[in-house]
This record gives sequence, structure tokens and C-alpha cells, in this order.
Amino acid sequence: MHDTLLAPFSYGFMQRAALSAALLSVSGGLLGCILVLRRLALMGDALSHSLLPGIAVAWLLFGPSTRALFAGALFAGLLTALGSALVSRLTRVKEDAAFGALFLIFFGAGVALLSRLPTRLNLEHFLFGNILGVGPDDLRLAAAVCGATVAAFAFFRRQILLETFDPVFFRAVGGRGGLVHAGILVLTVLNLVAALQTMGVVLALGLFLLPAASAYLWCDRFGRLLLLSVALALVSSVGGILLSFEAGVASGAAIVLCLGAVFLGSVLLSPRYGAVARVRGFLRGRRSVRHSA
Amino acid sequence: MSAPPHHIISFRGVTVAYGHRGPPALEDVTVDIPCGSLTAILGANGAGKSTLLRAVLGWLPLARGEIRIGDEHPEHALPRLAYLPQRLGVDWDFPITARAVVEQGRYPSLRPWRRLGAEDGARVERALAELDLSAVADRQIRQLSGGQQQRVFLARALAQGADIFLLDEPFAGLDLFAVEELTHILRSWEAQGRTVLAAVHGLDLARQVFSRGVLLANRLVAAGPLDSVLTEGNIDHAFRRAHCVHGDLPRPHPS
Repeated sequence: MHDTLLAPFSYGFMQRAALSAALLSVSGGLLGCILVLRRLALMGDALSHSLLPGIAVAWLLFGPSTRALFAGALFAGLLTALGSALVSRLTRVKEDAAFGALFLIFFGAGVALLSRLPTRLNLEHFLFGNILGVGPDDLRLAAAVCGATVAAFAFFRRQILLETFDPVFFRAVGGRGGLVHAGILVLTVLNLVAALQTMGVVLALGLFLLPAASAYLWCDRFGRLLLLSVALALVSSVGGILLSFEAGVASGAAIVLCLGAVFLGSVLLSPRYGAVARVRGFLRGRRSVRHSA
Repeated sequence: MSAPPHHIISFRGVTVAYGHRGPPALEDVTVDIPCGSLTAILGANGAGKSTLLRAVLGWLPLARGEIRIGDEHPEHALPRLAYLPQRLGVDWDFPITARAVVEQGRYPSLRPWRRLGAEDGARVERALAELDLSAVADRQIRQLSGGQQQRVFLARALAQGADIFLLDEPFAGLDLFAVEELTHILRSWEAQGRTVLAAVHGLDLARQVFSRGVLLANRLVAAGPLDSVLTEGNIDHAFRRAHCVHGDLPRPHPS
């Protein structure tokens, strides 16, 4: 038992994959809470898909260099965010539809470009993640992104909380809500890009969203929500890496499955906000009505 | 001889227009709000009540005129101002307790790396106690009654150290008991020298609660002690005029 858990980590690529996943669990767990509370979950999903053409173009131009892929993905993500902001300001189309439209165009372009690649590489790898792909450069990137996200949360936690909870108040006390919102979008893109190798574009958001949505079902305080979300992300992502190694499945899928188990468990079992508790409360209410009748 | 009344908010020829078309939402409003007064802003729908409040916060560019808070430009007086919007755009499922919301009142005066200090904590507890929330301070905000929910946000304003309260329709949606509680709070604030400027829909409610009034119909109709403002003639003027403006069909453009 002990061996099956620890032995895989004697491989260098497993160490890198686990460390990278752990780093991004910390920043993704934090950021996910804000996405859930600000109802930006689907927008995050759209953003992650839109990274693909950036990766494809970077690959065609510069080959498999982490730095080029990172720059390409970052550019594509920011272009989508900026583009949909522009479309929603300048036309009648609302922001969600604008985001949806742009990410579909980008994703389509990305798939088209990648299927033209000479090596049959690895469309799947970019879509769903591959632990073998985490190189030292990716690890450094994950560390930098994690550091930047944690620093932003440590330094601006009150601004982030105010803008998320009560933007009108934040504005009335002189806060710059637009800046905080833009900062959150940029951090989201950075984290998605850094999570690409392990998670793939389609599943990258799972590392942020699932732990946060799970923790949201257990916590009534903001600080505890952040901590629990990070803890759930850490445990499940390392567990997912192991599952990926043992069962030979794509690492993004394995991590999302572990996180998914936590989420479904929370949905069912959370004592206050879970489905079982709600249904039980409902039945008890009906019974007491029938008794008194 | 008594000292001249000290004015805490003064509007001088304030004109606000949303966009270039159509009549301005507020036109040439000149009025002084005395320090420590409980003043209702009255008028029909679209008479510019909310606009007047939002203009004080500096959220709307003034086409003409000037607003001063004491001797200052409103921009420099933000910590003194507390604003409560008409509908709290708050997610009541947010994982936060009543106390944590009141603590937000201290955030603007905190350096990013500092935690809340003992003095901040004491202010928060005082604000909670003053609004009778100490017993429910650790509840998640959905577990509060409607009146308590509103009082949490008033307590946050107190913790902020504000002495000027801009309330947009604070009585809307409150049950009878909560209306009484809020009336009591506002009266005690008046007694303590705090200034309250509130947009109010019902004239009867205004008569029950407020001592002064500003009657608007996009222009100033009357201002001063409530009895002298709510005369039959003024009311008629304010509400009929507004009716005419909004009842008119847009004229076809000569093309």
C-alpha cells in the first residue's frame, strides 16, 4: 500500500507533475472561490477554451518551447477577454454572449490549426493534459503564477472581498472595481495557461472551480472558504496524478475525477446546504403539516 | 442671537444630464442641507431623487454647478459619506457573517498588510451594539430578518466613521415593525448630530419620520422644514409637473 502510493514519485516526471499540480492547486483554489462567488464560472470555462489557438500558433512558429506556448496562450486569453468586453460595450450583445461567441471562434481556430500540425501531436495532450509533458520550465512557470496569485490575494484580499461582495460599497469608499475585475481576469488566464500541461485546456478550469464549489457548500466564512478550497484542491490533484499514473489515463481527466468525487460528495452530504439535508428538511416540513392537519 | 445654521452639504446650481438627449435629470438645483438634520428627498418617480444622492458621491458628472461637503469637494470627503442603495445588490448566500460585513466599514482606513486592530474591533462592536445586532453577529447573513439585514449595512456605515448618511428608499420593502425600528434609529442619529439625507417615496411616511424635506420635480420645488415644503400647492406642482413631463409622447423628429 505504502509502496503503491510513494513509489511513483521516485520518477522525476512524477515529482514535477505532482509539484506543479500542488502549486496550481493553491492558486487555483483561491481564484476558484472568487470565480464561484462572482458567478464567473462559465466565463472561466470560455477563457480556457480560447487559449488553444494561441498555443497552436506559437507551436507552428517556435516549436514546443514553454515560453512561446505560454506567451501565445496568454495573448489569446487576453484577446478574448478584451474582445468580449469591447463587443459588449460597443454593441447590443451582452457580455456572456460575447464571451461565448468569441471563445467558440477561438476554439474552432485552435482545433483547426492543431490538426494541421505535421506531428500528430498531441491535440489530445493539449485538450486533456499529460503528466509526461511537465518540464522544468513548466514547473518554474507554475511557481511564478502561484506566487503572483498568492501575493495578490495576500495584498489585495480586502479589495477583492469588497468588490465581490458589494461593488456599490466598494465604489462609494473610493475603490476601483474595474481594476479588481481586470486583475481577476488576468490572474485567471495566467493560472489557466500554467495549468495547461497537467490539465489541458478543456479541463484546466476544473482545478479552480470544483474545489471552490465544494468548499462553498461547507463554509459560512470567507477565510475558511479559501482555506478549505485550497486544501481540497491539493489533496485531489495529487491523488489525481497518482490515479493518472496507476490507471494510465490523461492527468487532467484523473484530477477532475478526483475533484468531482469531492464535489458530488459535498452536494449530497453537506449538513446545511447539501441535497440530502434539504430534502430531509422538506419531508419533515410536510410531515409536520400533515400531523397538525 | 443664534449662530447661523451650519450647512454640511450644499448644492449650487447642480445640473445632471444622462446622455445628450432629453431633459436633464436635475436642473439648476440650489439647496443647503443643515448639519445634523434628518432630510427627506421627495418627488414623483423620475423626479431626480436618486440622482441627487448619487451626485453627492461624485458618480455623475455635473453638467453645471457644484456640490460641497462642509468646505470640501466630495472627493475628499468620501470617508464621511455612507451610501445605502435602493436595493442591496448583495448575494445573501455569500459566506460571510454579520460581524464580517460590519468589519468592512474599517477596510478603507486599513493599510493592506495590517490586520484589524483593537480600536477597529471596538468600533465594530459598538456599531453592532448600537443597531441591536450583537446577539446575531455571528450568523451568516441569510439567517437574519429583513430588518436585521438592513441594519447590518447601517452598522457598517457607522463602523466606517461616517457622519453623513445617504439612503436611497430605505423604507422600501420593510414590514411595519422594521419601519418603526428604522424610524427610531434615524431619530436617534438626528439627536446625535448625524446628518441623514434619504430619498423617500411616501409623503405620509416622510411626515412621520423626517423633519425637513427637499421636494424635487427635476428642478427644486421647495426645501426647508417639512410643513412648509409639503403644502398643497407644492405637492400639486411637483407631482403634476412630473406627470406631464413623463406622460408626454415623444415628439416626432422633423426629418
